[in-house]
Amino acid sequence: MSPITLAVVATLAPAATALLLLVLFPLRHRGMPAAWVTLLGSAISLAASCKLLVDRIGGAADERAVVPWIEERGRAMAEIGVQLDGVSLPMLVIVGVVALCVQLFSVAYMHDEPPRAFGRYFTLHALFLFSMNVVVVAPNLLQLFAGWELVGLTSYLLIGFYFAKPSAAQAAVKAFWMTKLADMGFLFGLLVLYVNTGSFEWTAPTSTVVATWVSALLFVAVVGKSAQFPLHIWLPDAMEGPTPVSALLHAATMVAAGVFLVVRADPLFAQAPATREVMLWIGAVTAVFAAGLALVQRDIKKVLAFSTCSQLGYMVAALGAGNAFAGFFHLGTHAFFKALLFLAAGSVIHAVHSNDLGDMGGLRKRLPITTAAFVIGALSLAGVPGFAGFFSKDLVLTALEGRGGGAPWVMLLAAAFLTAFYMGRVLIKAFWGELSQKAEHAHEGGLSMTGPLVVLMIPSFASGFLGGWLAGQVKAEYHLHLGLTPVLASVMAVAGLVAAVVVFGRGGQAPGARILEKLDAWSLVDRTWATAYRLGLLGVASIAGWIDRYVIDGLMNLTGWSAIEGGASARRLQTGLVRDYALLVVVGVVVLALMGVLR
Amino acid sequence: MTLSLCILLASALLAIGAYGVATRKEAVPLLLSVELMANAANILFASFGHFRGGPAGQIFVLFALAITVAEVAVGLALVMLIYRRHGDTALDLASEARQ
Repeated sequence: MSPITLAVVATLAPAATALLLLVLFPLRHRGMPAAWVTLLGSAISLAASCKLLVDRIGGAADERAVVPWIEERGRAMAEIGVQLDGVSLPMLVIVGVVALCVQLFSVAYMHDEPPRAFGRYFTLHALFLFSMNVVVVAPNLLQLFAGWELVGLTSYLLIGFYFAKPSAAQAAVKAFWMTKLADMGFLFGLLVLYVNTGSFEWTAPTSTVVATWVSALLFVAVVGKSAQFPLHIWLPDAMEGPTPVSALLHAATMVAAGVFLVVRADPLFAQAPATREVMLWIGAVTAVFAAGLALVQRDIKKVLAFSTCSQLGYMVAALGAGNAFAGFFHLGTHAFFKALLFLAAGSVIHAVHSNDLGDMGGLRKRLPITTAAFVIGALSLAGVPGFAGFFSKDLVLTALEGRGGGAPWVMLLAAAFLTAFYMGRVLIKAFWGELSQKAEHAHEGGLSMTGPLVVLMIPSFASGFLGGWLAGQVKAEYHLHLGLTPVLASVMAVAGLVAAVVVFGRGGQAPGARILEKLDAWSLVDRTWATAYRLGLLGVASIAGWIDRYVIDGLMNLTGWSAIEGGASARRLQTGLVRDYALLVVVGVVVLALMGVLR
Repeated sequence: MTLSLCILLASALLAIGAYGVATRKEAVPLLLSVELMANAANILFASFGHFRGGPAGQIFVLFALAITVAEVAVGLALVMLIYRRHGDTALDLASEARQ
């Protein structure tokens, strides 16, 4: 098969699965068969992606195939198709591997759901994988936007999977609103780009002013999708969804789409140094801010949620520093180890029946495989030398050296320390120490839960060594050097872990935890947005409602009222008295006669 | 006897009829007034026919008289019905047409 056919198969296999399950609803309602169909679709997609990647390693060239999509005056205004190169192919495989692992994990994790809900869950997963693949293979910004919105919709449906639970429904709506608000930027960015260049290509030639506008507008969408400060507030709430959903959405795919967009549109961003400066600072602030909040979360999933915000901050900062490859590399390694961490957390939650770190403790005695998975994920996330996260984080930090007066670099180093510190806290609280009461009867899930954990452990540890190869794929430069930054990053990682052992090993509190807890409980950003939502959206809605009720409806009522009133007054002409009619006849005759005479 | 005298007579009759239609409240005088107006028209037909020569005017008057008689028959029948219904021939009582 040609590479294009393979790419189309990889993209459309999950779509076919979703369509099949949507149409054949008896199959969906049966539950387990729907899961097998979805797994089959994802496996086909992954196999096609792997074949493409293997061919590429074997020396296959970049491929691009498009067909006209929207026609305007006989000319194709936009095209739809696939673009296969060093960015999309590794990303396709990453997305495919994580999605398949998550789906396999879900078979055991969601086992207690009623068959109908189980079937719906897997249908949504298939739809989500399709949406994400549309984003990844997109040959231009417009197709990427279409996939982007599909991802937004399916993530809304997956976060709100337990829609009968009010908090889950609210979280889904919040995620949808926040990302949609940001997506306005994408839409306007596309408009500005098209008006000025007449195309949606990544490389559309344009002036600095236009590039700055377009990239700034696109970055608004990235801030929303990749949960950057100050639009990050939807991500912690989105933990209301099932844990495997968090592993998929908040590790490898949905939130990564924002970073992926910037990597793709890098030629555009390269022309806009002002936007990059903003990205650098927003990324750095998010990395530190979210890492601080991760330190005081009691919910194991929320720790990971804030950690995701923080790591995405690293990627955005790297992109802001002009090193798209560093951001992309960190995106890849993060996808593996964060998916692993979320799935391990899911395994813990499945065993303990609680999200609360206080209910956990000593789990390493009951859940050896999960513990191994979590430890590897945590070490990788912390950036301990040798693990995947170390290489990519080092690259990000190196890219930031000397940028923005050095402050972002310092902030990210501090965030690296905090990362190791909060992951150490989770490790100690959940897996070490005394066996808690709830953990007494904990046991590992079946093979479909431990299998994906074991599979993901490998790239979580080893994918860092692929940096040089990946750099070759996207024609970026990559050197491993022993400078100040890698040494400092390693010291920070180890120091954070040691500090965690010292502080939490004896059940202590982190210094400054009180302030952070207050900050977390106060949730100023959240409140600001809630107020803006009430004043802005609900205010506009009530004004629109008033206009509808009194102006639009008023016009309707006026029409009816004037017909009724006009009829009532015209009715008085008809007296029913014969003499009046006779008189009118006479008057009419006289008038006619006068007209005849005067003419 | 000139044409203008005839037209003057017809106009006077029409005016008297119109006055009657406008002022009378009883059904029968009102019908009579209508007849006066119709006859004013007939006189015009006859006199124009006479002064211009030829029989057309006179013949037309005969037709008009026949139609007027039929019309009066219908009018009287209506008056009868109004009388039966209201016990009077005052037309102001009969305002059912409004409903």
